[in-house]
Amino acid sequence: MALEQPILCKRIPTPPWGDINDRKTVTFDEYVCTGGYEALKKAKDITQADLVEQIKKSQLRGRGGAGFSAGLKWSFLPPPDGEPRYLAVNADESEPGTFKDRLIVDFDPHMMLEGIAICCHACNLDTAYIYIRGEYHRQAKVLEQAIAEAYANNIFGQKSILGQVNGRVLNCYVHRGAGAYICGEETGLLESLEGKRGWPRIKPPFPAVSGLFGRPTVINNVETLAMLPFIVERGDAWFRSIGRASTLGENVPGSFGPKLFGVSGHVNRPGVYEEELGIAMGELIDKYAGGMRNGKKFKSAIPGGVAMGFLGPDEYQADLDFDIGRKHNVLGLGTAGVIVMDEDTDIVAMTRNIVRFFARESCGQCTPCREGSGWAYQMLCRIEQGEGTFNDLDILDEVARSMGAMPGTTICGLADGTNWAVKTAIEKFRPEFESRCKSSLVQVNVSVGGSATV
Amino acid sequence: MAWIVKPSAQQQMERRDQPYLTDALKTEIEKTYIPRYATRRAALLPTLHAIQHEHNWIPYQAMEEAAEFLGLTAAEVVDTASFYEEFHLHPKGRHLIQICQSISCELCGHESILEKLIDKLGIEPGETTADGKFTLETIECLGSCGTAPAVMVQENLRENVTWEKLETYLDSLE
Repeated sequence: MALEQPILCKRIPTPPWGDINDRKTVTFDEYVCTGGYEALKKAKDITQADLVEQIKKSQLRGRGGAGFSAGLKWSFLPPPDGEPRYLAVNADESEPGTFKDRLIVDFDPHMMLEGIAICCHACNLDTAYIYIRGEYHRQAKVLEQAIAEAYANNIFGQKSILGQVNGRVLNCYVHRGAGAYICGEETGLLESLEGKRGWPRIKPPFPAVSGLFGRPTVINNVETLAMLPFIVERGDAWFRSIGRASTLGENVPGSFGPKLFGVSGHVNRPGVYEEELGIAMGELIDKYAGGMRNGKKFKSAIPGGVAMGFLGPDEYQADLDFDIGRKHNVLGLGTAGVIVMDEDTDIVAMTRNIVRFFARESCGQCTPCREGSGWAYQMLCRIEQGEGTFNDLDILDEVARSMGAMPGTTICGLADGTNWAVKTAIEKFRPEFESRCKSSLVQVNVSVGGSATV
Repeated sequence: MAWIVKPSAQQQMERRDQPYLTDALKTEIEKTYIPRYATRRAALLPTLHAIQHEHNWIPYQAMEEAAEFLGLTAAEVVDTASFYEEFHLHPKGRHLIQICQSISCELCGHESILEKLIDKLGIEPGETTADGKFTLETIECLGSCGTAPAVMVQENLRENVTWEKLETYLDSLE
């Protein structure tokens, strides 16, 4: 089964997108002409409890990597107490392989702004901050422009069609980051918004209770918010008709709705493609990305940003949904930025590349992550150069497995990225690592009756 | 990024008479950014961005000025500024060339472009040419994996980079 019509991409051209400077952004007028901001008008007349209930029933799961139910996240908010409440939009996508949010901001920012307005209305939030990564210079300008249009057309501001939200004027601002991957972690993002270093906070308290400036805060990904107008407009049953329920059990949340998949690496037509959740990776590569580059054979892929770990050569047809983690021994679907590698790829070098990323981006708060990723990088460099030993391989595996929020040794999940990249690489491509290693045993010549010589 | 070595206590801070955070900048920040946030400190990132946009880097004197402007201590400003890779606490060349070295760019051959850059400019990553024209840096993911390899030249993203295209572009710069 495939998506019959593009949903999120209905106003966005398919790749190749041409030169970055020629790209045209959908303006407010064009957006309204094609049915834009209708959902917001509809949402205005729905009670807030019903809206949250509808999103909950749609089983929309966060598109930022963790896949947590969006409606459930909203329902953790305490009731309004008259003080400010915030929405932080996570547009800090910085994980290698992930470039889907950029597409929405580049071409159709109003889709996200409408989602922001709906979310603010549903959760009683009066101020939205869009935290966009510092490297997205052009995108920040596009957003500023789109927000100015939205203010001028009474989406936000004094005369907002929503009236007062949480007893205040509804506002939406862009906040630029400055080149730190860790600020994509939700509490790191909040710290950065407050003008501090992006050090993730210890939870609890969760941001829904005490977030930005100590106030209740919702943090959602760009794509999650962009999905909201469609759910409000077409209903939660429509949303659940796309995608699939989990096959792992009745109580496991399903993978519903359309999803943006970013395909990069050794394929003929890399780019962002929209499909329903659950599409086989092989189908995505063959049908949309034009197959493997130069007719080479598939060797490995990373399903969604480098933190997720490697898929093996026999997992070409892995289904891309939220169950992928348990079915294929990776961390999860992540951001669905699929990085494809062909038969000539050096997995040791790729693992080294990934671990270097995490070593460089570690914020330095927790020892296992700060020290572990740095030393793991050095060991991988040594193995890549043929200077490593079998013993190194075991130590590397042990170091990797002991770091991260899942083993419970760090504050946030950044180190889990190193953990899964290294452990899946060694598990699935062990012979390749071993062929680069020297024996860690010292050869000893023994003659019976004589003394041993080294 | 947390490992930028701070200058020792012996170091002399370079000062100049004119402020880096000019009155025009202050007015702009006071008008645009301060009202957006619940605290003045939250306007620190926009302030640092504004200083860097103006001067191409953030000198210590500018951080002191920012601290005074926002009611913080200088240490708090250095603490924040030194965390973020994109804030330059040392002077850079007029054109900062940042080449992405993350996985998709490595898969698509960033290495040969980096080698040619090193050859052409005669500097290693992290260095600036003697005439102060170019600084070369390697950087992690620019969010351009679908159009790899990617190079950012002074806020200007170049996608699907080939050496010929990049060289022509660099030659066209002043």
